[in-house]
Amino acid sequence: MSQKTTNAPDEVQAEIYKKREKIYPREVHGMFARLRVAAVLALLGLYYVIPWLHWNGQQLVLFDLPARKFHIFGLTFWPQDFFFLAMLLVVAALALFLFTTLAGRLWCGYACPQTVWTEVFLWIERRIEGDRPRQMKLDKAPWSARKLAIKGGKHVVWILFSLWTGFTFVGYFTPIHELAVKLLHLQTGPWETFWILFYGFATYGNAGWMREQVCIYMCPYARFQSAMFDRNTLVISYDEGRGEPRGSRKRDEDYKAKGLGDCIDCTLCVQVCPTGIDIRDGLQYQCIGCAACVDVCDQVMDKMGYPKGLIRYTTENAMQGKGTRVLRPRIVIYSIILLIIAAGLVYGLATRVPMQLDVMRDRNALYRETATGLTENVYTLRLINMEDVAHRFVLTAEGLEGLRLVADQDVFEVPGGAVVTLPVRVQVDPVHLETASSEIRFTASALDKPELHRSQTARFLGPVTR
Amino acid sequence: MGHEEQLKDIPRIQKVVSVLWPSFLTAGVATILFFTAFDPVDLGMLLGVEQLERLEAYSIGFFLFWMLTSTSCALTCYFRKPCDEFNRGQGHQR
Ligand code: SF4
Ligand code: SF4
Repeated sequence: MSQKTTNAPDEVQAEIYKKREKIYPREVHGMFARLRVAAVLALLGLYYVIPWLHWNGQQLVLFDLPARKFHIFGLTFWPQDFFFLAMLLVVAALALFLFTTLAGRLWCGYACPQTVWTEVFLWIERRIEGDRPRQMKLDKAPWSARKLAIKGGKHVVWILFSLWTGFTFVGYFTPIHELAVKLLHLQTGPWETFWILFYGFATYGNAGWMREQVCIYMCPYARFQSAMFDRNTLVISYDEGRGEPRGSRKRDEDYKAKGLGDCIDCTLCVQVCPTGIDIRDGLQYQCIGCAACVDVCDQVMDKMGYPKGLIRYTTENAMQGKGTRVLRPRIVIYSIILLIIAAGLVYGLATRVPMQLDVMRDRNALYRETATGLTENVYTLRLINMEDVAHRFVLTAEGLEGLRLVADQDVFEVPGGAVVTLPVRVQVDPVHLETASSEIRFTASALDKPELHRSQTARFLGPVTR
Repeated sequence: MGHEEQLKDIPRIQKVVSVLWPSFLTAGVATILFFTAFDPVDLGMLLGVEQLERLEAYSIGFFLFWMLTSTSCALTCYFRKPCDEFNRGQGHQR
């Protein structure tokens, strides 16, 4: 047997157990850390509060999956409005492209749910386990009652927070008040329970355990963001020319005489990095642009009495002493496309008619002749009132001379969010039929709201008499 | 390092994630498109199922899609295995 085969099991084992080095990001204070905390509070505040808000007796934001209706800020969307959702996604994607080209991974550092929830989990962890050195010491220590209590406590808090997150998540998809009542009586439906647990578990796993691995292995955006970068994109970068050669020194030593640069090699920038990289090795795919290293390095520079900004937000061009251009062709093109599509979306929403009219011909008979010699076609109309209030509609038909529309009622009421089907008959004197199949047009208009009307064409079949 | 050795060097977590995660995303998209076009209640009526909860139908639909997509992701990984590994496994040497 070859050497390789005998080694194989070991290799496999080594591979299975090759764990990532656990990263213990050190807590940072500073301008960017404060910005991130502000962003975290604002975004999480919105996330947990929005489903509880009501407007006109209707949950402000509710993607009511069981009822197949989306309520967003007083508007109600139906599956028929899918187009708007698709457009909205295109706008969001384009905005992200534009933003990334301009400002790099600001999204990652301040607004991504992964960052935001991880930040909360880190905060809980620090409150319970202590700062970085104490966390590391605790992890090294043998298991004891104290360690068990601390670790257990942390996980209990994490899990409770995750469950609340999962509950809120499901509250976006089914009315949250009812869900809360059901939850209090432990009567949530099996799938509601499942999704609360599922989302809760995902939060716990991603923010508690996976952390930077989500960014590195799972995030599609992280993979393709570099394609949007150019030399004028805002990135976080270490000023190598100023910092190198790095080395430790005493505070008031003339380090320049010793031939040293401004980097005192304290490795704090590595200790604070949530993805565990060393920014001094250059811009890396793993860097989420959180600016923790900027904050901590600025503090070090302050203490040493050196100017700030050894690590800073800058652009590749600026780093090389060239000017940074904000208006590049790429930016202009992204902006124009974005503006056009966004304008289209706004226009579409403004002119959207919140009703739908479908016409189906009776399939059983092509046409029939009435006792009075008229040609008659039978249709089924389906009218959807997509608004939340009831409307009264009248129905008209046109397109043939002397056409007569026969329905059970002249005016019919459609409750808010309801679908009404009604059979109607259309009669025409055959002398007015020029071809075997003519086009007619049905129109339903709301009596109480003139702009609410929709038309739909249909075929009218009959004998050819001329 | 050759591409193949690099592939073997991928952490296990990345391997697992690269099967389960893209399939999760595509299954999600498929579920949204499918159920936007078809109302599970209508589908249930066609199939003769009366009492059908929409949430249940969506969930089951999602997991069926996920099964499908993750199977094809896993098969992709399986067929990417370098041929050498099979030779070694059967005790052949090069
Ligand atoms: S890399 Fe992806 S997951 Fe990580 S912070 Fe950025 S967007 Fe979020
Ligand atoms: S290198 Fe700096 S900015 Fe990048 S992730 Fe690490 S700490 Fe954040």
